[in-house]
Parts: sequence; structure tokens; C-alpha cells
Amino acid sequence: MKDFMMIFIGADYQELGLSQEQLQERMGKWFAWNEKMMAQGIVKGGDALVPHVKRVSGPKRTVTDAPLIEGKELIGGYYIVQAENADAVVKIAEDYPDYDLNGTVEIREVMVFEQ
Amino acid sequence: MEHKVVDHLFRHHYGKMVAILTRFFGLSYLETIEDAVQDTFIKATWQWRTKIPDNPEAWLNRVAKNRTIDILRSIQAEKNRNFKITTGASSLQIDELFLDHEVADSQLRMIFVACHPSLHPNEQIAFALKTISGFSTKEIAAALLTKEDAIVKRLTRAKKSIQENNIQFKYPNPEAIQERMLRVMEVIYLTFNEGFHSTNQDKLIKEDLCGEAIRLCQLLLKKEQFRSGSLYALFALLCFHMSRLESKISIDNQIVNLKNQDRTKWYFPLIKMGDSAMNKAVEYEDTSVYHYEAAIASEHLNAKTFEETNWKKISYWYEQMYAFEPNSFTLLNHATVCIQLSDFKKTLHLLNSIDVSDLVQRTYLYYGCYAEYYIKKGDKELAISFLNKALLETSNTLEKEFFMGKKEGLIG
Repeated sequence: MKDFMMIFIGADYQELGLSQEQLQERMGKWFAWNEKMMAQGIVKGGDALVPHVKRVSGPKRTVTDAPLIEGKELIGGYYIVQAENADAVVKIAEDYPDYDLNGTVEIREVMVFEQ
Repeated sequence: MEHKVVDHLFRHHYGKMVAILTRFFGLSYLETIEDAVQDTFIKATWQWRTKIPDNPEAWLNRVAKNRTIDILRSIQAEKNRNFKITTGASSLQIDELFLDHEVADSQLRMIFVACHPSLHPNEQIAFALKTISGFSTKEIAAALLTKEDAIVKRLTRAKKSIQENNIQFKYPNPEAIQERMLRVMEVIYLTFNEGFHSTNQDKLIKEDLCGEAIRLCQLLLKKEQFRSGSLYALFALLCFHMSRLESKISIDNQIVNLKNQDRTKWYFPLIKMGDSAMNKAVEYEDTSVYHYEAAIASEHLNAKTFEETNWKKISYWYEQMYAFEPNSFTLLNHATVCIQLSDFKKTLHLLNSIDVSDLVQRTYLYYGCYAEYYIKKGDKELAISFLNKALLETSNTLEKEFFMGKKEGLIG
């Protein structure tokens, strides 16, 4: 078994101005997905991220603030799951609720260092 | 684990929280409050993904309370002075505002704000749906078959009038309550009709609108000072209509008229609720058009089949209703009933006494009724010519199809 990170990009609810009804529906879908993965015992961790972004870059350690980052590039959260291979994670990611809001799931294998 | 968040919790709780916070801060902070409440729900969608709190409502209240304190601080900082509470909430601690009866009280105040006479009727419905019922502007637009920017404009105008007229977050004075209640009932009635008679293809939208109207009615009925025969009659009427909503829309989303509705689909608990509300209504002295409309709706529900409808009694109620408050639509509806009774003389008399200009965009109903009259009399030619007139007067696809169908039936 290997560890994989599913990174959720885009579909910022705040920016999209979802209604209460839509928010509740989304919440239910995320909850159901989480329950499903929990039942399979594959979740190792995960968090949601506050949509405020600060970036530090370049030799001068230039700091940039959130407005420069577009909502569709924003990372909203991640899960770390255990799976046989990346294809198996693709299967898991099929239940991600926000594809219809143009959200994306990026799947990355966690690197294991030689002892 | 079961998904235990009740339907519409977010939407209904939105209205509650906006009302509570408005009571605390005053209407001038409405915009800030709405944003803050919206944030609370976005937070909930994140946090509840992994674990739904044992008591979701309490969680929302707690977060909203904390938000209130945040807002208070930021307002203080912004104004650089101590924030003074200008509303009636001054004597109440913030915790008390979250008690059930105070929540209902805050929502009722919001209803009176929404129905304030300085707001245009269009604005009143949009404002009520947004602020009390927690609809988004997009959902309101879909529900009222209007463009979203038109709704945004209505809401902006409504908020502007509230500020300009310095409307307070209070109940009207006792002497003004009866009159203000008339407007409140009208807004509820119109909201319901938007759902019930809407040509909207989306059944859920219809149910939502009708459901909200009924919910507001129930909220008002909880307080003794707002109860009246008219309010009970309105509630009865809405229950009676609502019981038929399911049977009014066919599987392929077509409007099914009363004659062809599957009467086994009528929802009897609602009819019972309506009946008991009607019994309460007659205990009061006041009478309203709602009394008559409810009596007529109830008479339709009493008939096991369309053929068994007691048209005579319905005709009587229309007569009484017209005597109580003359209205061209009442004449038109009465004429339709007289056709069922094959009372041609009376039908013609009623139709002739209608001033067509009163019917505004619904003149097609008038021509449709004439066509029906001639069909019943067996005069195909005149019937077709009136169907043509009706077709010219309606732009609605479903109505057009209905008249076309009638016409083809006559020609074929």
C-alpha cells in the first residue's frame, strides 16, 4: 500500500456565491464521501484550507497576497489516502463532489525515502 | 451513520440568524449581517464534512453568536467609538436572543419590515424570500421567472427604502396592526400564488415557494396578537391548495386541470389542517376574501370525482364573494362554474359584466371562457373564433398548447 494525496483545486464556494440550499447539498455530498472512505479505512488525514493566501517567492522573499490568485487555482483542501496505486485513487476521486463547479482533483503519490 | 441534517436547515436557519442579528444590531447593518451569516454556512460546509455536530442548530447558533461578537468589534473599530444598540434588543442579552420564542419574535419583526408599505409589492416578495426564507438572488429569480439582475435591483431598492424611511425593527403600533396585517397576508398570498400558479417547469421551486408561504403563515398564527379570522382562513386556503399541488403537475411536467387530476394523490393531512383552521376562522368576527376562496377550495376537495362537484354551492360562494368584494376575476370564475351548471343565461350575463381591461395579462382566460361557453352550447364556429382570440393574448407556451389542443379537438 502506498500513500497518495488528493489535492482539491478550484470550486471556491465563497467566490461562487452558492445559496444556502446548495451549500447544504454540497455539505451532504462531502460528508457521504468522507463516510465512505472512512468505512473503507483508507483515510490517513485531510484538511480544509482557509481561502486566504500569502505567497513568499524569489530571492527577495517577495510576499504576494490572495487577490492575485484566481479562485480556479486555489487549493481548497486535501486528503491523504492509502491505495494500491494511482489508478485506485482515481477511482476514489470519482466521488469528489465539486466537478460540476469546475473543481479539479490532483493526485500525487507521497514519496517514500530509502532508509 | 445517518445523514441527520434536516431538509432546508441551512435555508431556514439563515433567515433565523439574519433576524436575530438584525434585532441586535439594527436594520442599518443588514448587509454586513447577511454576509456574516453566509460565512457561517460556508464554514459549516467545511467543518461538517467529517463530522456533523450532534446538534447542528446549536452549532450554527454558537458560530453565529461568535460572528456577532466579531462584527461588533469590527464596527466598534470602524467607528472608533462605543457601539450603541439602537433597537429594542438593548434590554436583552445576546444569549437570550437565541432562545426559541425570541427567534420567532425576531422573524416576525422581519416579516413586518418586508411588508412595510414604503416598499413596492415586487420588492416585498423578493426581500421576504431573501431575508426571511434564505433564498439566493438566483433562486428568487428562478422562482419568480425574472432575471437575476432585476431581483438584485429590487433588493437594493428595498434596502434603500428601509434606510431612507428609517424603518425600525419593530412591530407596528397596536392600532396599526390590523391594517399592516392585511398587507402581510397579501404578500404571503402572492408568494403562494407565484408557486402554485407558476408556469415554472421546476416542481421543486413551486413546492419551495408554497411551503414558505405556509411557514410564514404558521409563524404568524403562533402569536395571539396577529391571529384573526382572515389569517386562519388564509392558512386554510393555502393548506387546501397545497394538498393538490402534487396532482396538479403530471409526470412530464404538464399542468393538469382540476377535471383530470388524480384525486387519490391529494394530501389529506393538509386538508384536515385546513378544515380545522377554517373552524377557527369562523370563531372570529372578521371576514375576508380568503374565507370565500377557502370555502370554494374546500368544496372542490369534497367531491370524490369532478362530476360529483357541488357546482351550485360553489356558485353560491362566488356570488357571496362578489357581494363582499367586487372583482372581475370573481365574475370570470363564477361564469366558468355556471357553464358547468349549463346555466347559459347567467354565464352570458356574468361574462358581459366583466370589464376586460381589469384582467390585464389574463384576458386569454376571458376568451377561453367564452370558447368554453360556445363549446358547451355546440357552436363550434364561435368557439374556434374565441380560441383564436385567446391564443393571440397568451405568450405562455403551456397555455398556448392547451388552447391549441382544444381547437384541434373541435376541428378534427
